[in-house]
Amino acid sequence: MTSSKLDSKVPSGDLYAKWDKHKFESKLVNPANKRKFTVIVVGTGLAGGSAAATLAELGYNVHAFCIQDTPRRAHSIAAQGGINAAKNYQNDGDSIKRLFYDTIKGGDYRAREANVYRLAQVSNNIIDQMVAQGVPFAREYGGYLDNRSFGGSQVSRTFYARGQTGQQLLLGAYSGMMKMVNKGKIKMFTRREMMDLVVVNNQARGIIVRNHVTGELERHVADAVLLCTGGYGNVFFLSTNAMASNVTAAWRSHKRGAYMANPCFTQIHPTCIPVHGDYQSKLTLMSESLRNDGRVWVPKKQGETRKPEDIPDEDRDYYLERVYPSFGNLAPRDVSSRQAKYRCDEGLGVGSTKKAVYLDFRDAIKRDGAGTIAGKYGNLFEMYERIVGEDPYKTPMMIYPAVHYTMGGLWVDYNLQSTIPGLHVLGEANFSDHGANRLGASALMQGLADGYFVIPYTLGNYLASNKIDKITTDHDAFKEAETRVRMADNKLLGLKGKRSVDDFHKALGHIMWEEVGMARKEAGLKKAITGIRKLKEEFWQDVNVPGGENEYNFELHKAGRVADFLELGELMALDALERNESCGGHFREEYQTPDGEAARDDEKYCHVAAWEWSGEKAAPIRHVEELKFENVQLATRSYK
Amino acid sequence: MSSAVSRYFTSSIGRKQLIALTGLGLCGFLVAHLLGNFTLFIGSDAFNIYAHKLMSLGPLVYIAEAGLAAMFALHLGLAIKMTIENKTARGQKYYMKTRTGRGETLMSATMPYTGLILFVFLILHILQFKFGPVYNTEVDGVFMRDLYRTVVEYFQSPLNTAWYVIAMAAAAMHTAHGFQSAFQTFGFNHGTWTPKLKILGIAYAVFVAGGFAAVSIFLHVKGA
Amino acid sequence: MSDATANMTIYLKVWRQASAAAEGKFVDYKVDHVSPDMSFLEMFDVLNDQLVKKGEAPIAFDHDCREGICGMCSMMINGKAHGGEKGTTTCQLHMRKFKSGDAIVVEPWRAKAFPLVKDLVVDRSAFDKIIQAGGYTTAQTGNAPDANANLIPKTVADEAMDAAACIGCGACVASCPNGSAMLFMGAKISQLALLPQGQPEAPRRALNMVKSHDELLFGNCTNHAECEATCPKEIGLEHIARMNREYTKATFTYHEKVRGGDGA
Repeated sequence: MTSSKLDSKVPSGDLYAKWDKHKFESKLVNPANKRKFTVIVVGTGLAGGSAAATLAELGYNVHAFCIQDTPRRAHSIAAQGGINAAKNYQNDGDSIKRLFYDTIKGGDYRAREANVYRLAQVSNNIIDQMVAQGVPFAREYGGYLDNRSFGGSQVSRTFYARGQTGQQLLLGAYSGMMKMVNKGKIKMFTRREMMDLVVVNNQARGIIVRNHVTGELERHVADAVLLCTGGYGNVFFLSTNAMASNVTAAWRSHKRGAYMANPCFTQIHPTCIPVHGDYQSKLTLMSESLRNDGRVWVPKKQGETRKPEDIPDEDRDYYLERVYPSFGNLAPRDVSSRQAKYRCDEGLGVGSTKKAVYLDFRDAIKRDGAGTIAGKYGNLFEMYERIVGEDPYKTPMMIYPAVHYTMGGLWVDYNLQSTIPGLHVLGEANFSDHGANRLGASALMQGLADGYFVIPYTLGNYLASNKIDKITTDHDAFKEAETRVRMADNKLLGLKGKRSVDDFHKALGHIMWEEVGMARKEAGLKKAITGIRKLKEEFWQDVNVPGGENEYNFELHKAGRVADFLELGELMALDALERNESCGGHFREEYQTPDGEAARDDEKYCHVAAWEWSGEKAAPIRHVEELKFENVQLATRSYK
Repeated sequence: MSSAVSRYFTSSIGRKQLIALTGLGLCGFLVAHLLGNFTLFIGSDAFNIYAHKLMSLGPLVYIAEAGLAAMFALHLGLAIKMTIENKTARGQKYYMKTRTGRGETLMSATMPYTGLILFVFLILHILQFKFGPVYNTEVDGVFMRDLYRTVVEYFQSPLNTAWYVIAMAAAAMHTAHGFQSAFQTFGFNHGTWTPKLKILGIAYAVFVAGGFAAVSIFLHVKGA
Repeated sequence: MSDATANMTIYLKVWRQASAAAEGKFVDYKVDHVSPDMSFLEMFDVLNDQLVKKGEAPIAFDHDCREGICGMCSMMINGKAHGGEKGTTTCQLHMRKFKSGDAIVVEPWRAKAFPLVKDLVVDRSAFDKIIQAGGYTTAQTGNAPDANANLIPKTVADEAMDAAACIGCGACVASCPNGSAMLFMGAKISQLALLPQGQPEAPRRALNMVKSHDELLFGNCTNHAECEATCPKEIGLEHIARMNREYTKATFTYHEKVRGGDGA
């Protein structure tokens, strides 16, 4: 049974007509009245940037906040591969329905049909919009847009701008924001970090932010709050996320009443540069497109000492080709990642840490020539050489999976509104569109769909149909929230313990990676919960945060984030423990088919698990939104 | 002044283009001047006839001189203003600043200094020759100024000759960067032609500065 | 782990300055157990961890994605922006480029337009202001024609992409002897000038952005090309040239007549 608070508000009627119907039925805000509303947008990535620019164009006053020194640095910028759209420019059988279907299937049937269909519908508008903003997508000599097939898709629907698609799209959204800053409709607050959400009369009405430069806590009031704060992959310490990516805005909103949905759904990307030491601060993704020509292998015997290029074929195990003869090296992300882990668990890993597998271009170079391969992957090869110091033209690359994306996030309804009225959540920060596994080139699509084409309608409806009282930042709720933040700060600063914030973060990351990573099992998850609880206790006794509150104190910034990651990590383990099935990025070793594939349990788990915070001491409450599939058949994914 | 004109004259790019334009104009003048100087290789009569003909052009001379003076003043004035602005824009100096070796060159880095040397040189040059000792001579029955003697006497001093050569070295450095740089400033940059233009700039610098220096050394060695 | 190879010792001379108003000075640090596989920033992490454990204030430096694309990291390393390796940001500079025992001087970006915030952190918001002056197309959401309505030949799209690759790190300004932002601004003007979408606003864009650049106290370009040499995305001077053309064209062809309101 779906819990009462989890009303998805999906419009009735035919799937194909739901969004149009909803747009028509949504109430509008009169043009002259829009300027009376203020909207807070936290985060300026693809979702936040596009939402801020579009809402400002419509006439709302937008107050936008970003953690970096300028909105152009949000981590959307690092997406390499591309963005999907159902344009069918290649005439290869693509359609809105097929993109919808692929996304549902790719998500292993754990996403909401209506949301995903809408996503596929607006995907085409996104490409038009971004081209109009001057995004230099790849083109043919004749001037038409080029597409490529991505992540094992059977149609070429991915638009790309070299290996920098995320950057180009983000700069497009950013330029739209700058245009509206110039017009005075967006007020930009940089180097600010959201510390708490302010709820008044059960409506999200403002935020408390820390000004990183001065250390001051600031109060900001508005008529609605949009969280566009990205994912929480950094709970693993090492991930492909940026250093400042964090869960604090979402987590503190969760503590104020927003439900956290499917937190255990994390995506582990198979082609990253392996960890090389304890000092490592982050992992770098190598585009998945490399698997189009590279062959993945490990040596057949343990303790192999020969150089990889000296190992003959008969001593190599091309395990993806062996296990998945039809998809081979192009098997989906979760499948490829898990297979790499198995090989390393078997002691066949390579490199100094033995936690890597080879991705070999020898045969591709022999077949197509080094020039052709350089034309396709030259930039990536250069990047690899810069980081690792080895030449992939001569010796195989080493790769290993890394945490890349989090499908889970704050629960939202069809309007992208959380369980707190007025608090809307966009992009990776919400849970809605990718189910248990995200397809390649779909994250950019979702962020921009939410910001450009969904929230402008649904936010208008919220503002027009709710009574929002006039309040100022002197309201008691602001005082309370600010005090709460200040008390936590003072506690952290006063501990003067022996361990650094990073020590704790790394310890948490280790537990998460070992027990809540690519393959999970009951005993391990229970161990993780106990371990994280203990770590959390130690953190609040022994962390050392030097410096004071009213200064640029990034150890204090990090400490607040790690405190939240410790709580989130526990919830992720609990969520994984409660979901007794394997689906997409969530693989429980107890639930697999005889040949080692994920075994879903559609009887019991065809639902969204949304967690309600119930205090520091009490256990969180698991709510359920049942998922109904009326337009696609539930089927088992097979990549054999 | 209309707003477009004042905007252009006060903008970074507008002023740069004016510096480039006047710089190229001065480059053109240098070539003409050098070709004239080559008559010094032929002998006193050739040079004096050339100088005399030039000076007999009447009002045209004054117009040309005024034009040159204006170009020079504009070039110098804007460059001084720009240099001061650029120093201010740099702000606090680096404790350590090293060139990458792929960008800034000795030539580009010393533009204000070589420019300053040329400015001093020009003043002295005009004083020493145009307003220098006046001698008269007669060639083919025509009375004229014996500028040749003024020049040759000047170059008898090794110090004078050395200073002249040093100034020409500065001119070479200044134009080696300035010539090709002017095209970039106007917006001409092409994968094929720009590298060739850079070579042309260096060839120009060597030819012009080398030419002037060669004449001075020739006269010094030849003697009065 | 690879601690066996973590055997380099590095002597750092780092600029420390508590705030914009405070006096700054260089402080010497010795960092042991540096691995050649560390990035330059990871070496700073190690140093900061040691400082924190000693109860000292860690060194503030800007960084975020650590994969060379966000443009946040910014250090002047031995007198070169990002260390001067071709096409490399500080976060992608690895310690294997140095030798054990090396002394390295690390300073913040310095330019009048980039005031210092703390230690190695500077304020680059002037870049946002340049973009605000016109570094966009006015394509209101929902108005766009079909993406293939304007054909853009591959060669043109590629060149626009070269310019668009700018990450806004400020190395161009930091390394320019004149503290000029012409490469940053030229890249944006050039990108939009190449594309048909950028045409309607091209003259206003060039005039307004250059005006903004000058008002923000950036210096003038004198074609040293030090910016091009240190640009981690290897953006070339040809984009400054295109900006110069655009600016000239706008000066001599664009005229906006002042008219009364349209009563809307």
